[in-house]
Amino acid sequence: MVGVASNLAPLTNECEGCHGVYEADRALVARMRAGDQRAFDEFFKDSAPRLVAFIARRTALDPATLEDIVQSALIKAVRHLASYRGEAALFTWLTEICRNELADEHRKAKRRPTHLSLDEPDAVHRWGEMLRAPQGQEPVPQLQAATERAEIMKVLESLPANYALALEAKYGDGLSVETIALQLGLTEIAAQSMLARAREAFRQRWQKRSAT
Amino acid sequence: MTDERSRNSEPSSIEDELLTSALRTPALSQEGLERVRAAVEREWRATVPRGAVAGKRRTALSSRLRWFAMAAAAVVAAVGVTSWVARLPVQTAPLGSISRSDEGALSVLSARFPPRNLTQGGELRVGDRVTAQGPALVALARGGTLRISAGSEVTVISPSQISLGRGLIYLDIPSGTGAGIPLRVITNAGAVEHVGTEFEVMSDDQTVRVRVREGRIRFVGRTATVVADAGTELLASPGKSIVERPIDTYGSDWLWTAALAPDYEIEGSSLISFLRWVSRELGRPLNFADANARQIADRTILHGSVRHQAPIDAMSNVLATTSLTYEIRGDAIWVRSSTSTAL
Repeated sequence: MVGVASNLAPLTNECEGCHGVYEADRALVARMRAGDQRAFDEFFKDSAPRLVAFIARRTALDPATLEDIVQSALIKAVRHLASYRGEAALFTWLTEICRNELADEHRKAKRRPTHLSLDEPDAVHRWGEMLRAPQGQEPVPQLQAATERAEIMKVLESLPANYALALEAKYGDGLSVETIALQLGLTEIAAQSMLARAREAFRQRWQKRSAT
Repeated sequence: MTDERSRNSEPSSIEDELLTSALRTPALSQEGLERVRAAVEREWRATVPRGAVAGKRRTALSSRLRWFAMAAAAVVAAVGVTSWVARLPVQTAPLGSISRSDEGALSVLSARFPPRNLTQGGELRVGDRVTAQGPALVALARGGTLRISAGSEVTVISPSQISLGRGLIYLDIPSGTGAGIPLRVITNAGAVEHVGTEFEVMSDDQTVRVRVREGRIRFVGRTATVVADAGTELLASPGKSIVERPIDTYGSDWLWTAALAPDYEIEGSSLISFLRWVSRELGRPLNFADANARQIADRTILHGSVRHQAPIDAMSNVLATTSLTYEIRGDAIWVRSSTSTAL
């Protein structure tokens, strides 16, 4: 009478084992467009902290700028909800908007003057703040950690996009396999298997990088 | 998210440790997140139809601010009414019209119209959010019917998409209607698509129950997509696997849908068409005990009216004017002629 529709064409070919779960994201977006407050709450709770982390891992921006970028990205997202067609996971769509925001921010930063006038009273204070190491943090270990993080992110970014997202979700966002499966549109078994493949791919590239 | 970290925080290899140390980042402060939320929510509210936001959050507006906001809203409303009178709003696409409902049973919030009650003949349109205080029958513009139980909340997203916030609805979509575009019912636990069928959907904040009475539906949940045929019930909750079990397509559970059955216009209709309609409404297969009964049903043309009669009563009254009789046996309706021997 009933059967899991494994023979149905997946809505996306983004990843193996997808079961059209982006339908759930589409449904969430449809509910938001219809004015459902709970849908907005769910959207914000699931997306905002992860987007902050997504950018923080790829940049060395201060919290205020991170906040600005996430805010701009989410505002653009809610303005253009109609253009989300469920061809990728909603979070993947949001990360693309974030990447564009980051690129804009980078362009703006390049246009801004790179010097600060010490004639401005505030500037002296700001320089002082910037030069002061945070309490309990020594500059050299900080730099080493930052360098290693940059290297790891470089390797992660070289992996297939769904591998990187899965690893970030597990190790960075601390999500359970069940939640990762839901968000990537996979069954739990497929998510487990993809995480294993992603970790192996990361391990191989990390070792190769270390060898060179 | 925080709760889940502890479950996953047991590094088992160098790669695990590397990834954990590199990928965990300090979270934005709660104040920062609240600022972002306020800005994004304001923008979101501006994009959705006015008055359509359901379940508004309480804000920390002071009493003075609230009064100020109300005064400003009154001015805006006055300007809005003036311009509304000057230029009537453009009509949105209709989902269907009300065939039956009690006075005041359906209240509607809409993006383009002031709040209103829908009565018989009134149209349900895209952007409408309906709260049903009593049962209602909607004749769908695409063909078929939507029956809404008391206590339900339904939002019309498009002519082929509705959202069931809570409550119980029943859809009867004859195959071949709607230009091949499936009608979708969106719930908190997933979306239901008909494939030419009769089905019932019950939903609350967390769980959805779908009962397929005829044909086939596709349920797209968060964890899986399931195709269910007639005589199947699906239970789904976010994050849980979908439970399926067989059900009867007739009986007391379906009485509420029979009570909301659309009127069948028998004038000029063949008896066989009428009996098939009764069969669908009751969820019971139609059988003929003898060939003669089938021939009579095929060639008999009906006249008169059975309006406002429940399907079973209508069948009794119609067959009483013919040489045919019926009996409910097991799950089926059996029709026989006077020449037939005992069933």
